[in-house]
Order: sequence, then C-alpha cells, then structure tokens
Amino acid sequence: MKWPLVERPIPNAQVPLYNRFYLHASPASQVDPVLVWGTEIDADALQAYLHERNRGGRILITPAHALIRATALALEQFPEMNVRLVGRRIYPFRDVNIRMAFFHRRNSEMDLILIEHANLKSVERIGLEIWQRMLQAGRGEGGRDRDLARFRRIPAFWFRQIIRLYGFLDRHLRLPTLGRLDGTRSGCMMLNDLSSPGAPPMRIYKPTRFPDRSDSFNLTLGPMESKVVARSDGFVAINVMPLFLRADHRLVDAQQVGRFLGAVRELLSHPEKLAGGYSEQSDIDRIVDEKHKKQ
Amino acid sequence: MAADRKKLEADLTEFVRSRGARHAAATPSTDLLESGLLDSLLLMDLIFHIEERYGVRFDSDQVNPSNFRTIEDIVSFVQNQLSMPQGQSD
Repeated sequence: MKWPLVERPIPNAQVPLYNRFYLHASPASQVDPVLVWGTEIDADALQAYLHERNRGGRILITPAHALIRATALALEQFPEMNVRLVGRRIYPFRDVNIRMAFFHRRNSEMDLILIEHANLKSVERIGLEIWQRMLQAGRGEGGRDRDLARFRRIPAFWFRQIIRLYGFLDRHLRLPTLGRLDGTRSGCMMLNDLSSPGAPPMRIYKPTRFPDRSDSFNLTLGPMESKVVARSDGFVAINVMPLFLRADHRLVDAQQVGRFLGAVRELLSHPEKLAGGYSEQSDIDRIVDEKHKKQ
Repeated sequence: MAADRKKLEADLTEFVRSRGARHAAATPSTDLLESGLLDSLLLMDLIFHIEERYGVRFDSDQVNPSNFRTIEDIVSFVQNQLSMPQGQSD
C-alpha cells in the first residue's frame, strides 16, 4: 500500500483566489475549468538528439521517452503543478511520477504505465522500463495483465457499481494505492505520444479527463510536420511537433501553464538539457555493462 | 533450427513494407531509425512477429539500436539467437 499524496492539503489561504473561485463554484454554474494550451517544439533538434543517442546507445529511445523525461524535469521545476484535487482540496504528490498511455498489443487496447521518480531516471532507464512493460503486455505475462483480465470478466452491472463507488471515494478521499490497477493514479501528469509516422497533422487536441479526476494534467505530443519559417537569411523549412497541455483552472492559472509548457518545450527543443544535472550514466548503463563483462 | 537468411530477410521486409505508403520503399538495408520508419508500434509488432514465427524471445535490454537499425541487423540478431543452444540468450 502506498500513499501517493502528502498527508495535508495545501491550506486554503495559500490557494490563489482565482483558483478558489473555480474550486468553489457551484455545479449549477456549469463552469468549465479546462484550460488547453498548444505550442510546438523544434523537431529537428529532438530528432538529431535521438539519432545521436541511438547511434551509440544501448537502449532504443523514442520521442516518448524524451517527453517523459522532459515533463518530469519540468514538474520538478514547477512543483505547484505536481498536485491533484480531492473534493475541494488540493494535495501535492510526494514524488514526480509520470503516467503514459501505450498500446497493449495482446488486448488491442490502450493501457497505462507509471514511471516512478521519472525526474531521477535517465532517458535510457525510462526507455528500458517502457520496453520491459510493453514486452510483458504483449505476452500477457505481467501481474497487471492478469489483474486486467480478471477485471474484464466482471459482469457489466457490477463493473459499473465498482467504477462508480471507487470514483466517488477517489474524488472525495485521499486514498492509498493498493495494487497494480490503481497504482497508475500516482501521478498528476498523463502523457500521450501520438507522434507515430503517418498520423495526420494535429491542429488541436483536447483529451478527456479520467472520471476519477486523478489526472490533473494531460500533455500530448503530435506527429512531426514541415513548416516554412522566416530566418535572418531567408525562408527555411523546419520540422515541428505540436505539444498540447490540458490543465485544470482550479489548480493552476494560464500563466503557470504557459511557464510549465515553456519549460517542457525548451527541454525538448534543446534535448541536450535532458540530463538535467543528473548523470546519464544510469543504472541501465551499469546493468548492461555488467552483462557485457560477463560475456 | 537455423532460418534461411534470405527467407527471413524477405519476410521481415514484406512485414515492414505492409505498414503503409511511407514504408513501401523499405529495403533490408534501409536505416529504420534515421528514416523515422520505426516507431514503438512497428517495433512491438516486429518483435512479436519474430517471436511467434521463429520462436526468438527478446529481452528488454535487447531492444537496442544495434539490433533494430536495419532489417539486416534484425535478421542477424534472430539468426544469432537461433544458433545458440536453448536457454542461453545474448
């Protein structure tokens, strides 16, 4: 059993008045607290970084792994974003955990993976964890896969009752996480990597939020596309990738969203900064080194 | 059982080409990483295609650039795994 949220909520007096205005609005006012901010990143810089890392690296890394690392570093920089709502109280998370959607090949559906302490892990280590989970999911071998299979067998009536009861409790009480199914609630930020080659250009993207309100923010990376921009030496074609952040106005305001998104954008457009002060010679490097020495 | 290299190469090339118009020109020596053709969905489909058809199981630390740069590299890895005694892995 883990407690992803700290014991005490942020005192009401410390919550900005404007956020409280949304926080305490009557449902009858039908206020919409969803903020969406879209921007784009320099995909040429990110691609060059990935190509460089994949030339000599020991784990294949993709834009999704860089996105997780960049988001975790930005959350570390802006801890006021690493929070969630329980009832009308705002609780900070203990750790910087990132959850990401991935395609569960065996079940042909989306599933979630939680990268714990993503701010302390190198891009390679994040990549290794994701490949490990994706292989496990493809084989249906993981504990979470067994739990998901059991969950799927629950009759529709009881499924609805369980979801409604759990959602109610989770919306109103600071719950612990008990197992592999609810463990993915332990992060405020949900990431979507929709940058697969061949996907159509993304102009706008507004993701839904989970019924249990556990994801406070959603960050989505779209597919790469070319764009002509004016530079001092004339017009040049560059590659860009869209980045959309869905946020909750009860937790943050647009200025905070802009600063956070700016930090993620800066890290992805200058990916050499993804090391973030930590050594990129991570655990995975040591594991792989040891394995090579044994041979 | 050692798979025939040419047959394996043709099978995997066909598998990659069937992904769509962008992949149609892929050859066994195309750099799948630099060309941006290999995303996580194709990677997983390739891994499980190989696992189901040839019985070669990938560990997570084998999902590395040197094994997946080109179809030729993937074939070399698969053949290397097939030639090892059972129970051993690279």
